[in-house]
Amino acid sequence: MIKKKFTEVKNLLNKQEITSEEICSSYLKRIEEIEPKIQAFIHFDKDYILSQAKASDQRRKQGKPLSLWDGIPIGIKDNICIKGKKVTCASKILENFVSPYSATVIEKLQAHGFVLVPGLNLDEFAMGSSTENSAFHITKNPFDLERIPGGSSGGSAAAIAASMLPVALGSDTGGSIRQPASLCGIWGLKPTYGRVSRYGLVAYASSLDQIGPMGNDPQSILDILNIISGKDPKDSTSVSALPIVIPENFSWKNIKIGIMKEEGKEWQSDVYEKFNYIIAEVKKRGAQVIELDFSLFKYSIPIYYIIATAECSSNLSRFDGIRYGLRVDRNKKLEDIYLDSRSEGFGKEVKRRILLGTFSLSSGYYDAYYGKAQKARAAIRKKYQEFFSQVDFIFQPTSPTTAFKIGEKTQDPVQMYKADIMNSSVNLGGYPAISIPAGLDSKGLPIGLQITAPAFEEGKLLKLAFEFNTWESLQIPLPDRIE
Amino acid sequence: MDAKTLQEIASLARLKIDQTELDSMLRDFNQIMEYVAQVQEVDVSSIQEKDLYPHHENTMRSDTVGESLSRDEISKLAPQYENGYIVVPRVIET
Repeated sequence: MIKKKFTEVKNLLNKQEITSEEICSSYLKRIEEIEPKIQAFIHFDKDYILSQAKASDQRRKQGKPLSLWDGIPIGIKDNICIKGKKVTCASKILENFVSPYSATVIEKLQAHGFVLVPGLNLDEFAMGSSTENSAFHITKNPFDLERIPGGSSGGSAAAIAASMLPVALGSDTGGSIRQPASLCGIWGLKPTYGRVSRYGLVAYASSLDQIGPMGNDPQSILDILNIISGKDPKDSTSVSALPIVIPENFSWKNIKIGIMKEEGKEWQSDVYEKFNYIIAEVKKRGAQVIELDFSLFKYSIPIYYIIATAECSSNLSRFDGIRYGLRVDRNKKLEDIYLDSRSEGFGKEVKRRILLGTFSLSSGYYDAYYGKAQKARAAIRKKYQEFFSQVDFIFQPTSPTTAFKIGEKTQDPVQMYKADIMNSSVNLGGYPAISIPAGLDSKGLPIGLQITAPAFEEGKLLKLAFEFNTWESLQIPLPDRIE
Repeated sequence: MDAKTLQEIASLARLKIDQTELDSMLRDFNQIMEYVAQVQEVDVSSIQEKDLYPHHENTMRSDTVGESLSRDEISKLAPQYENGYIVVPRVIET
């Protein structure tokens, strides 16, 4: 059961060959067996999962399922609010926080009858590329327990890769869906900025954040994306985009693909070879491949870190120990509650980013840092527009390397930041991008292919995803035994 | 950046940096600053004001009363709550 793809689970449910309770019980059994090794969850409520599954079965029994997806379990990254449930953001400051409301995406999933499985681990406040910044524990990569699953949606990716769930929600500010999806051998999509409401996603960097689906097949990505999309009065940056439609006709001969001219310089050799193989294959099939000048993109990580940290320093100012969350009160003054609660509640990386953001917004440095980064972001956006006037898609490896070892980059923040070198520019531009499984390296670790499309062209992106899903050479069997 | 400036920034952000973590924080911070300062090299001479905000439509909503949290819900969230109020230390010296 647990080895089945999302699409098979959906079909079995709708043919009434299996109940939601049976599905959820299989996954729960798997979770009980291997969660001690993977540690994908921060908190876990078996009764909550089973009661939703039973309610779903009841609806189906009465012939009134809420949708075709009624009864399918979906993991929720622990920075997306569910009313009455804990939402920790992997931070001490929210360790005991119970959300008084639900995110719009959660209400949409519930309206379709999904069984919510909350509590998936992340880097604290989604700040990180390895899940090592969680205040609670490090999630392990199911392909190699000594390695990181990527981040920040590392819990979501690892849970799917370990067959503990068929699908999950993640969030992506600078690569946080795509990079862990790549390192764990699964599918993950960052939607066009505005396609999915951010209401109820705990804010990190509001102009970059997007919620998106991660799953064990491309159909899960398409289905979940369609369900969670749409204009939301509670998020003024959300837009009413057209529904995602997969084009019927497909021919590689009509497709123009952009690749980086100076590719391969800092990529792991296996990644480089696999990427070149894919490019050679699509060329053989008739696609036109055009080399693009990506020299401006070496600045995308510095631009990203100035903008994201500026926004985070503002967004995280709400955590003051007064209205909700951790309060550290040593019978001192009000100012000390602010200082002590924040200093003891936030972890090292969160503090670093708040400090960097506060610095780049401070008087005397604003023009040179934040102001300059805003202009440079516009330059990146212009460059993308130029690219998309020449090509339909941009192909890159999702990550320049496969999963690295736990602890390998924790002492060097800049090296850790560079893990997102292929990803962050996509958020700066607001474009949609998907990471698709692209085979294994010589150590048996997953490689991912990132495809970026023009704004609101998720349908075309997914058409390619379905196409690549038929390539035997790119398949990644998810590990059975976890050891 | 020196320790004094970092402490000033921390104070703006309502964060305390202990003496024990000051050295490592300062080292990391300077390393990150040096890296992000590369942004100065980007040629932005062709960027105009209108390029900065590509989606500049205003989003309006009608000015009507909507949902909000009840006092009861707020009382459950607040770390300290008494008689309908969130408790904070005295802020006016007597």
